[in-house]
Amino acid sequence: MDAPAIATEGLTRRFGELVAVEEVNLRVAAGQFFGFLGPNGAGKSTTIRMLTGLLAPTAGRIQILGLDLIAKPVEVKRQIGVVPEGMALFGRLTGSEYLNFVGRMYGLDRETAAKRTAELLEFMQLADEPKKLVTDYSHGMQKKLALAAAVIHGPKILFLDEPFEGVDAVASGTLKAMLQRMIARGATIFLTSHVLEIVERLCSHVAIIHRGRLVAQGSLEELRAGVEAQAAAVLPAAAMADGPAPFPGEKLTLEQIFLRTVGGARVADQELSWLG
Amino acid sequence: MAWLSFTTAVFPPDAHGQFAAVARVRWRLFVNSLRTSRGRLELFSRIIIGLAFALGGLGGAFGLGAAAWDLVSEGSVEWLGLLLWGVFLFWQLFPLMSTAFTENLDSSNLLRFPLSYRSYFLIRLAYGSFDPATALGSLWLLGIMLGIGIADPDLFFWAALVLLTFAICNMLLARMIFVWIERWLAQRRTREILGILFFVLLISFQLIGPLTNRYGEKPRPGVMHVARELSPAQRVLPPGLAAEAIAQAVRHQFSPGLGFFVLLCVYGLAILWLLNLRLRAQYHGENLGEAPGRAGSRKAGQGYRVGWNVLGLPGPIAAVFEKELRYLSRSGPMFFTLIMPVFALLILRLGPAGSGRSGSFLVHAPNLAFPMGAVYALLLLTNLVYNNFGADGFGLQLFFASPVTFRKIVLGKNLAHMAVLALETVLVWLAVCVMYRPPSIDITLATLAGILFAAPANLAAGNLFSICSPKKVDYGTFGRQRASHTTVLASLGIQIGIVGLSALVLLISRLYGSFWLAAPIFLGLAALTLGGYVLVLNRVNRMALSRRETLITELGCA
Repeated sequence: MDAPAIATEGLTRRFGELVAVEEVNLRVAAGQFFGFLGPNGAGKSTTIRMLTGLLAPTAGRIQILGLDLIAKPVEVKRQIGVVPEGMALFGRLTGSEYLNFVGRMYGLDRETAAKRTAELLEFMQLADEPKKLVTDYSHGMQKKLALAAAVIHGPKILFLDEPFEGVDAVASGTLKAMLQRMIARGATIFLTSHVLEIVERLCSHVAIIHRGRLVAQGSLEELRAGVEAQAAAVLPAAAMADGPAPFPGEKLTLEQIFLRTVGGARVADQELSWLG
Repeated sequence: MAWLSFTTAVFPPDAHGQFAAVARVRWRLFVNSLRTSRGRLELFSRIIIGLAFALGGLGGAFGLGAAAWDLVSEGSVEWLGLLLWGVFLFWQLFPLMSTAFTENLDSSNLLRFPLSYRSYFLIRLAYGSFDPATALGSLWLLGIMLGIGIADPDLFFWAALVLLTFAICNMLLARMIFVWIERWLAQRRTREILGILFFVLLISFQLIGPLTNRYGEKPRPGVMHVARELSPAQRVLPPGLAAEAIAQAVRHQFSPGLGFFVLLCVYGLAILWLLNLRLRAQYHGENLGEAPGRAGSRKAGQGYRVGWNVLGLPGPIAAVFEKELRYLSRSGPMFFTLIMPVFALLILRLGPAGSGRSGSFLVHAPNLAFPMGAVYALLLLTNLVYNNFGADGFGLQLFFASPVTFRKIVLGKNLAHMAVLALETVLVWLAVCVMYRPPSIDITLATLAGILFAAPANLAAGNLFSICSPKKVDYGTFGRQRASHTTVLASLGIQIGIVGLSALVLLISRLYGSFWLAAPIFLGLAALTLGGYVLVLNRVNRMALSRRETLITELGCA
């Protein structure tokens, strides 16, 4: 049996007294479009930073494509692409210079780096203003550039931290097209996002982290079945508090699954009265 | 109470709350920074640097006060101008020559709040004025004021008023120079104009040689004579006006004194107006980005451009080398910092001290000009070397995510910085040839060998401090390239060690009567520092990985 693309065992990260990620055991098969969800501060970014070598775990093991990340970081990094929080851009380079630079950092020769740079800029519709510095790019353009940089070396796994945050519909369409093309060619994508509709549409498998612990993991169908079984076991009124129930025969949406897994939303009608 | 009603009249009602909020947030940032050992070390370094400046401030205040007392007591008040010119030049030139000690606020942080223009102006002025030049200049003027007051108590209040106005002029002028230089350096076109002006000035020095030779045949005018010749010209500038306003009062000629004071005030208002022009533009959200227009740029995007091939260096090292040089070439402020050695040589040659018999010692010992210029170039480069990752911001994450060891990344950066140093050394050598005379071969070799000794030592220390004590800097704005105080203090210590050792080598060479001896000694020392550099370089990867969180947090912060 093939090794999973991503596997963690007892992955833990503490910041002093705070346990940001606790005993997380993830398993992502090769070729999956994997959504990693959780409320704010749940530990998503900490996990993705550990999986990409940006943060050292306090305990636990990380295997990427069968290689131990701690023992063989360079070999692992050669096969992955990352769009981290903050995007890792160099503001005072042009888009073309930046992609060229990233390509060469990932070991591409000068010619290949330059060719792929031109192609990626064209695909991402960033080729119109070649002299523009990255710092002068709009947020959406920066996201597209960051994604282009993450794929320039043709990674087998792509880690994306909130790739659709602050991106308009046009740019979002471009990003999704590229990601789906990568999946079709056998790559694995691991993404965190707060836009549950996008995750539901793109991802085949999902994991939910809450307060540093992994509370659910599996395909959307598996998660749905789990939540429905749980709801049936408790009083219907309690289940209703965490989001509206679907109509009979209708499937639970990812948002409903998410809300029921991590706890309900707060109703603000009696609070913040000064807001008018 | 009077102050409160004044500020209420001048500023909008919510300004008090805003000032208090800014002060409080600065205080909380300071207190919160003490939570980490790095923050506490930073405070310690700040205190040490502060003490050194306080010592200079108090010593200078005492010396200048005594000089002012003597001049007024002896009736030689016409020389007061010399003291005020000294203070003036320090106040204006120190912030430009040592941006490591100068803080310039990123106005974009303030603009999102509903701040009135007046409040914004005041905050910008206050922020910019918390620098050593203002503190030292104010202390020195206080010393002069006390000296005058003790010598002639009747003059105390007049001198206090004139010197206070002079201090305000200095403070405004320093800010004005900063914001205008920032403006000129922000865009390529204005940057090029500024560069061309500078080089025209430099080339014009070729004319000085023949002129100096002509002077050389005649008895040289003494300092007194030169000062007297320059006196009418300097009297119409702020230091001269302030000095004259006081001198006239000493001579009991109050009307002319008042006239000079009024002219000083006019200067102050003119400077205020120029400063106001810039700050108002910034307040209204001026964007000095260099983004070209959309039309016509598409053509340039066709085809593709390959990266640099740097002397057969491996791809990642060459890529980092190219990226560093591109970053530096796009930073007007950094360009300005890097031409300072040539500028300093120019000032020493051009200033009044450079023209008299007892003028600048470099005129009499031109062989020292090249070593001094090279040492200054190296010192300025420490701005970059000791904070290698400062300008990378969130981009640093790419270094951690990419399959390249930090050893290679740091090596690429170090090579780029050495290329800049090599270029600067050549520029300094050329400038010395033009402005003074070509340095002798033994001195040239000794200087080059000295650089080979000092550069690896600085690179090794710089690499360590870049990882242990990083600080986010912005190459795009003037005066925001400060390293951490810990780094500044450590760098100062290292430079003192290097200069001390170099002086010892030169002394030994002099004792043996030949500067040819210095080069091999420096080369021997260079072998040692190079060994140290390689040792540090080999440990850089482990260090960077163990400190990756701090690095990313510190450099990624807004």
